[in-house]
Amino acid sequence: MDFDLARQAQDGDESAFAEIVRRYSPRVFSVASRFFRQRSLVEEAAQEVFLKAYTQLGSFEGRGSLEGWLTRIATNTCLNMVRSSKRRPESTVSDLTDDEQSWLDQHSVGDGEQPSVESSLVATDLADRLLSVLSPEDQQALLMIDGEDASIKEVAEATGWSESKVKVRAFRARKKVREAMEKLLGRNNKQLNSAAD
Amino acid sequence: MKDKHITEILDNASMSALSESELNEVRAHALECGPCRSAYEAARMSAVVLKSRAQTTIEPSPFFQTRVMAAIREQREVESVPAIFRLWKSAKVLVSSMALATVALGALSFALPGTTPDDQSLSAYSAESVIMGQSADDQITYEQVLSTIYEDDDDAR
Repeated sequence: MDFDLARQAQDGDESAFAEIVRRYSPRVFSVASRFFRQRSLVEEAAQEVFLKAYTQLGSFEGRGSLEGWLTRIATNTCLNMVRSSKRRPESTVSDLTDDEQSWLDQHSVGDGEQPSVESSLVATDLADRLLSVLSPEDQQALLMIDGEDASIKEVAEATGWSESKVKVRAFRARKKVREAMEKLLGRNNKQLNSAAD
Repeated sequence: MKDKHITEILDNASMSALSESELNEVRAHALECGPCRSAYEAARMSAVVLKSRAQTTIEPSPFFQTRVMAAIREQREVESVPAIFRLWKSAKVLVSSMALATVALGALSFALPGTTPDDQSLSAYSAESVIMGQSADDQITYEQVLSTIYEDDDDAR
């Protein structure tokens, strides 16, 4: 089905490619959202992905799914965009905002409950702060595995890396993020103690 | 040793992938060991914020498909134009400005009074005069040479 659609699009059937865009743009947007939080950047990346896909349709042989093929193009395109933009800040554990401090206070008690809708933005900011200590590749591996519960194999397929490489990246990223969080929590506790004194 | 063991468990897999027995082991150890407690707490909080970050996805706008198809049509148009025309399209400003500059220079060289010597003054100079430092007026003509020779012969006779 996907293969036929891809062949029709390759033969110049515009409506076939429009159908591909309609069907898979949520998936491509989901991948791009892992890398960018601004809508304009996500849309720019997604458009780039479909333009690349259009020109490379001939290389889709139908062995895997079209969704998997597009996911890989999306992942590599976004990684290249992040690498070329050089927007990655050097350090994550700078001063916490008031919202972030209160979020950490609220969630340091309890056991693994999900943040409320109101606090999810603060949690997302905190996640970005933690993720910024990682390379874009390590961010990708960690977000997919720990954030989306993807398997090692799924990450390997989406990125084109070997499974052992994915494991190493995820382990290293998880350790770094945990240590960065420990620093944030330690700092937050110190601030709370000094405020109490 | 125990501390290392627990952090390894925490770093090896995501919190949601830990089995119940692994979680029990971690929790039990965290109660007794301060560094492990803070490591466990940090891992748990990291898992929460990462889940939250992963859920932050942007949905495609209703116009996205139209925009992509327009971009593809534009790309196809660009590709359908022969390379020479594409080259001309990108270089036409440069080529036009160069042609304009050439025309302007040509017009200026004809319009402004010339500073180069005219043909008459040029003809007044010969190779001899340049070499001998003589002007054309000082040159001896062929007739003068002949008459001088014959006059000399007449004198000799």
